[in-house]
Amino acid sequence: MIVVEWYKQVRRPRTYAVLAVVALFAVVVTVALAATGPAQVEYVGDLPLLMVPRTSGWSVPLIALSSTMKFFLPLAVSLFAAESVAGDAAWGSLRYALARPVSRARVLWSKATVAALLSVTSVVVLVVAATVSGGLAFGWRTLDLTDGSTSTPGHPHVAAFAPGLLVGHLALSTLYVVAGQASIFAVAFFLSTTTRRPLVAVAGGVGLTIVSRVFNADYLPGVKVVDQYMPNNDIDLWQHLFTRPVDLTGIPHFLVLQAVYVVVFLSLAHVWFTRKDILD
Amino acid sequence: MIAIELVKQLRRVAVWVVLASLAAVAGLITLIIATTSAATPERLADAGSVVPNSSGFTMAAIALNAILLFLLPLAVAIFAGESVAGEASWGSLRYTLARPVSRLRVLGAKTAVAAGLSLAAVVVVSVAGLGFGVAVFGWHPLAVLDLQHASPFDSGVTVFPPGAALARLGLATLIVALSLVSTFAFALLCSVLTDRPFTAVAGGVLLTFVSRALNDVPGLHALGPWLPSTDVGTGLWAQVYFQPADVAALRHLALVQVVYGAVLLGAAAVWFRRKDVLS
Repeated sequence: MIVVEWYKQVRRPRTYAVLAVVALFAVVVTVALAATGPAQVEYVGDLPLLMVPRTSGWSVPLIALSSTMKFFLPLAVSLFAAESVAGDAAWGSLRYALARPVSRARVLWSKATVAALLSVTSVVVLVVAATVSGGLAFGWRTLDLTDGSTSTPGHPHVAAFAPGLLVGHLALSTLYVVAGQASIFAVAFFLSTTTRRPLVAVAGGVGLTIVSRVFNADYLPGVKVVDQYMPNNDIDLWQHLFTRPVDLTGIPHFLVLQAVYVVVFLSLAHVWFTRKDILD
Repeated sequence: MIAIELVKQLRRVAVWVVLASLAAVAGLITLIIATTSAATPERLADAGSVVPNSSGFTMAAIALNAILLFLLPLAVAIFAGESVAGEASWGSLRYTLARPVSRLRVLGAKTAVAAGLSLAAVVVVSVAGLGFGVAVFGWHPLAVLDLQHASPFDSGVTVFPPGAALARLGLATLIVALSLVSTFAFALLCSVLTDRPFTAVAGGVLLTFVSRALNDVPGLHALGPWLPSTDVGTGLWAQVYFQPADVAALRHLALVQVVYGAVLLGAAAVWFRRKDVLS
């Protein structure tokens, strides 16, 4: 079933369009950096991490992850999740897909697996494209990162990361960003089982990031009570992997939170889909 | 024409749901802050700082600050996106146009009503924030700390008596509305181009998101001042609480928004005049 679903999705131009746009974004960032001022210090993320792009191409994946983790990646993930069930419903082929002698639950889970794989792929494609294009432009050299949160004008906290170490930390960061999209994936997937219009489910996934942004204690300290339960607010904690000493505060909480969102919304999707009157 | 269109829109549940949701979010934020962190300073557009429990006027500014980034663009896109495409999706657009009135007048009336509702959305946030704020924290003078100008020689705190605070809030509301003109115009253009209101609304929201995302990309800093919505542009409303206010930046914001508005609405008018209306 998973294989069948996989072939159905990878044959669709839309899948490649999303992945191509993600990869293109990384290339555009590299070109823009190279063209306008690679020698300038860039402030990356809310921490912020300070880096000079020209000194090492490894700066590009960090910049690409930072500038996509809050909107573009949730959008890509929502697109894949929304398309999985509602896409079939929109073509009117969902009831034929279910006419096969396979339980609804198996159909649902194979769709969820394929959509999840594609979502993971989109994040990986971004990081790989950024690493390759950044390296081609600026070389895969040791990267000096300044921790903007602890540095003072006289005492910069600079940490040098060798390429080998960068690969490891970047892989962990990619995993963290992937894990951080799980809540959005789960909500968009659940919505996908409830509607026949994929765009509604996409809007639901993106809407969730909006709600998350509104109740974000980084910008509105007064809402700290609800901030810690918002699905997308702590997505930037991977940046602490690039400081010395590495600060893991908040990461376990965020991963548990994602797991809770996933369990709740995928169970809802399961319950809803196994009992739904399928008319499309 | 405008009156007819206004009555039509005001009868719709969706309009009231959007406005009520905005007020509810303002109320929710007030509730959370009042019960858990009333004495914690809150930032205004990263340039100013206020302490919520010092005055009810702080909540109006805090509510604006929290809602204007994503929810207000969404509300504005809903009103603008629904205006023409909403009618097309009900299949009543061609009957609307069958009246002996020029298409431009119909579009003008729809635009005016959608603009009025969008302005109402911003006003609802301010008024709800103020109402809830005053109910919880009282009608006191508003003290704003200017983070950019505070120095050892100058505390950077400006105190506004209630009357002045009210006037400044009105001005801030207008500036927030001004910064949403490009979103409104783009959603309206989408609304003319498509028959599906959802697509038009998504288009309007997408414009603000893409614009903000581009603004965050290192290397594209030069584009920043000319993008339709950026953190700098949407944060300028807070300038009304500072002395001196950054008037040059406000003038630039007005210019950029008016140009986007004029071009996009002009394109909508041209397209709508020549469109084959089939629904």
